[in-house]
Amino acid sequence: MEEYRIGVYICWCGTNIAMMVDVEAVVEEIKKLPNVTIAKDYKYMCSDPGQDLIVKDIKEHHLNRIVVAACSPRMHEPTFRKALENAGLNPYFFEMANIREQVSWVHTDRIEATRKAKGLVAGAVKRVVHHKALNKRYVDIHPATLIIGAGVAGMSAALEIADSGQKVHLVEQCNQLGGMVRKVDLNYPYLNSSRQTISQLIKNTEEHPDIQIYTESKIDKISGYIGNFRALLSNHQEQRELEFGNILIATGLKSFDPSIIENYGYKRIPNVITSADFEKMLYSGLIHCENGKEPGNIAIIHCVGSRNENYHPYCSRTCCMTALKYINQISSAAPECNIYDIYADMRAIGKDCEELYASTSKKNVMFLMFDQQHDLPVIKQNGNGKTVSIEFTELLSGESIHIQANMVVLMTAVESQANNKEIAHLAGISTDKNGFFIEKHPKLDPVATTTEGVYIAGTCQSPKDIPDSIVQAKAAAARILATIAKGKVQVEVTTAQVNEDICCGCQCCASVCPYSAISYNEDKKVSEVNEILCKGCGTCASACPSGAIVSKHFTDNQILSQITGVLEMQIETA
Amino acid sequence: MNYKPTIIGFLCNWCSYTGADLAGTSRQKYEDKIRIIRVMCSGRIEPTFVLDAFRKGADGILICGCHPGDCHYHEGNYKCLRRFHLLQKYTQQMGIEKERLRLEWISASEGKEFAELVDEMSEKIASLGKCMVKETLDTYR
Ligand code: SF4
Ligand code: SF4
Ligand code: SF4
Ligand code: FES
Repeated sequence: MEEYRIGVYICWCGTNIAMMVDVEAVVEEIKKLPNVTIAKDYKYMCSDPGQDLIVKDIKEHHLNRIVVAACSPRMHEPTFRKALENAGLNPYFFEMANIREQVSWVHTDRIEATRKAKGLVAGAVKRVVHHKALNKRYVDIHPATLIIGAGVAGMSAALEIADSGQKVHLVEQCNQLGGMVRKVDLNYPYLNSSRQTISQLIKNTEEHPDIQIYTESKIDKISGYIGNFRALLSNHQEQRELEFGNILIATGLKSFDPSIIENYGYKRIPNVITSADFEKMLYSGLIHCENGKEPGNIAIIHCVGSRNENYHPYCSRTCCMTALKYINQISSAAPECNIYDIYADMRAIGKDCEELYASTSKKNVMFLMFDQQHDLPVIKQNGNGKTVSIEFTELLSGESIHIQANMVVLMTAVESQANNKEIAHLAGISTDKNGFFIEKHPKLDPVATTTEGVYIAGTCQSPKDIPDSIVQAKAAAARILATIAKGKVQVEVTTAQVNEDICCGCQCCASVCPYSAISYNEDKKVSEVNEILCKGCGTCASACPSGAIVSKHFTDNQILSQITGVLEMQIETA
Repeated sequence: MNYKPTIIGFLCNWCSYTGADLAGTSRQKYEDKIRIIRVMCSGRIEPTFVLDAFRKGADGILICGCHPGDCHYHEGNYKCLRRFHLLQKYTQQMGIEKERLRLEWISASEGKEFAELVDEMSEKIASLGKCMVKETLDTYR
């Protein structure tokens, strides 16, 4: 029998873990467990010296199994697997215990937290002896890319990829390219023409020989996996199939409808309009009230539907600067007009945005602050039908303010597209509570998703301005080009496998597999798993009445011994 | 009084485990007697795992998967749900109270909901007291 030599490493994560877990006590306890050759604690396991420590110990102490107790395996499992590989050990001889996200950050009793950490590490130690060496498998990458959404992000990525000679299928649900930016007149902070910027981008995209554009089209189905995806695409006339290796989702966002905010009377009170309505007016070149006259007083209200738990909790990112842009546009088009800018916080993030705020303050504008959380302004229609009154408490002075205006512009929030859930489902990714797509890691990997080969860019991930959308789009394009350049990609190795000696041929497994990865071998009278199609969910293993299916890396033995470990420690030390 | 029940949580990797991680990154506090075991999909949960955990001394079992329609593998959570009803009938026949075995959907963004769920489940099981499966079986051994 194989002799197990386990190395266990307990991470401090600086003070993140060490403040709530007595890491030294964990080490002492774990040292007593069978098969544990060495147990150590270290400040930062994921750092280079931390990884080197593992590599060195594997060589020196002939370790053949490694356990790291640190952050979530979703974060650093790949890092440590790499370290094992560097030491010449199969990367699957590794197990992680999550004592940061699921212990030190969520508990407050140091003794209990330490006990729990001991249990989780014991579970990992018991489990790791059942780990088997798994070998990496590779598949070829189809060089084409599917991009969903032809706004500024989708087009930028498409051009980046196509310019390096790779094919792009660009799918857009509207009848033209350009997305949200097409509806904007000027953009901040330099007040240059959006129309010009976007039309150049559209022209380049349309003329590119390697970009195939499908407008008024939608994706009905996506199947396959990284490197080898297929999609069914349809428009009014026909349905067609596309093949590609990577997917970029860049579906953008939409405007919030403020009519649900009682206080503002949108759609009820004349001359209360949204920023989108106002943009149209600017685009046409004439600022006018419903009676056709130029307004003498304009009020602009910020954060309409943003940063308020009743509507959307997040900041819509672009409205403050867009409001400043409006002030500049109004002062040049109607220099006599008085402008009241009613804001909650002036957020001037981004290059030259604070400068835009400074220069705008010199215009014919009065900035007034209101309480966005508790005290929204109230807009009422005046008897004369020509003006509206706006009432609120000005936060800085504490005074109640009464403004008469001919026109009110609501800086409406942006929100996720209504069909994001559907798209997430097609591509196998997730949406957050606001309906935006979730990135693989909020800091370390904001363009990938949890599904290999599926990337996100632009405002479908969260509200952002044009430069930030383009940055993310180009980053995603670079990632996609990197996989294309490699030509091959590693696929799931933790697949299912049928033990032919035990299989009775009942085919229960085949009926539950969501990927039709299991077929029945008539000659042998047993079921077989196609490892290229299998994604390793393990559903077949739990459905098999004979226990003939091994769900690699999540075998019964592995899970049952982990249960033993986490519970044993609990009872022993309690 | 004030018995603190030990709960084993089986969480699917894509939604629920990520949701529990989010509870961590957003520093939501919850009962510390839960021990989480990661599986790729709730569809992987076998009755054996649940029975084994009770047998080894767990006071409660919490299975979490993605919300209906959100499973990373499309329908593993439905498979889990179907099996769950049978399993719960079985455990109830064994004399294990219904509250001790739960299946809940937790998405990757529901860190707070996860923390609340653990607290609420712990409280319910605390009022039932210790689960006697292990003791009973041990005496027969
Ligand atoms: S391995 Fe994880 S827990 Fe340890 S220092 Fe790095 S981030 Fe922190
Ligand atoms: S469910 Fe099990 S026994 Fe039945 S065919 Fe599949 S592998 Fe064989
Ligand atoms: S593990 Fe999942 S994907 Fe793989 S064969 Fe079994 S049911 Fe199908
Ligand atoms: S992956 Fe979460 S339930 Fe299937």
